Amino acid sequence: MIEITEHTRNVLLEVAKRKKIFVEGNFLKILKAPKGDSEFETYLKICKEKDSEARRKRLEVTKQVQAQNKQLEAKQKENESLMFDLQSALEDSESSKAEAEKLRDDAVESLETLQKKTQFELVGKIVKIALIVIMGVGLITTALFAYTLVIGQENPILESTWSNLFGILLTNSFSIVGTIMGVKYATGDK
Amino acid sequence: MINTLMLIDDENLFHLVFEDACSLLDIALSIEALDSSDEADKKFKAWFPDDPDHERPECVFVDLNIIGSSYDGIEMIRKVNYEYGNGCVIGIISSSSDPEEIEKAKKVGAQFWIIKSDDIEPRLEEFKKDYEGYVSKKAPFKVYD
Repeated sequence: MIEITEHTRNVLLEVAKRKKIFVEGNFLKILKAPKGDSEFETYLKICKEKDSEARRKRLEVTKQVQAQNKQLEAKQKENESLMFDLQSALEDSESSKAEAEKLRDDAVESLETLQKKTQFELVGKIVKIALIVIMGVGLITTALFAYTLVIGQENPILESTWSNLFGILLTNSFSIVGTIMGVKYATGDK
Repeated sequence: MINTLMLIDDENLFHLVFEDACSLLDIALSIEALDSSDEADKKFKAWFPDDPDHERPECVFVDLNIIGSSYDGIEMIRKVNYEYGNGCVIGIISSSSDPEEIEKAKKVGAQFWIIKSDDIEPRLEEFKKDYEGYVSKKAPFKVYD
């Protein structure tokens, strides 16, 4: 403990009285009033009270700031976690979108295939019927022509019809075969 | 009352809280607050063995996890106790209460473990009562929670 001199004591008391400036901080804890000097004892008591009050206030404020900092840190962590969730949700939605687009493309492709299949089946049926009709007409005409040959009765109309019919059938057969080959070649790579 | 006390903690706001609380509770006259164990290590290295008569802290409070430092509080205590041979009262002040860490601290010679909280004053007050026991090395290791 430090016992101060008369001069220092007087200066300190004067400064406190005139300018309201008091000693503060831990220095106060080592200051001692001279024995029997109640005025300086009171002064030291006031100084200590003021210092304690100021420290208490500062402690309270610091604690508040500390608590706010902790809250802010917690909020920041929460925000980061939310951002992470949002990011993963976005990624999920993007992957779902890609999956949906793939499914849509698959469906469109299946539909196109089905349509093509139906078209081919239709074409097949038409070709089959046409071939039956052509072959039927050919067979009937051939039969009639053979019959006239067997019975020896010449029929120029039937002869020309038979030859024309075979000519047409031959030409058309090549045309049909050509068309089918062309279509097959055109759609073969897809 | 402790003449010189050293606090090693990376949280600067806690320095203010600790200084004010110690002052209000008349625990220490002078507090040196450092924010890294490296800085503390440099000081201890300078005092021992080069300048063993240098006025050194009577008591050291170390945080457990000191961000930005090469080693944690337990390693700091081990260094002070086994490398520098200071003989000062030393312990941990941390928000952690992990029993494993407490056991480790005890093994390297920590004398106390104070759990940091918003209301640190009652713990420091209790520590103040036990302080003389720590100086004489008679008080057992204690956790202030």
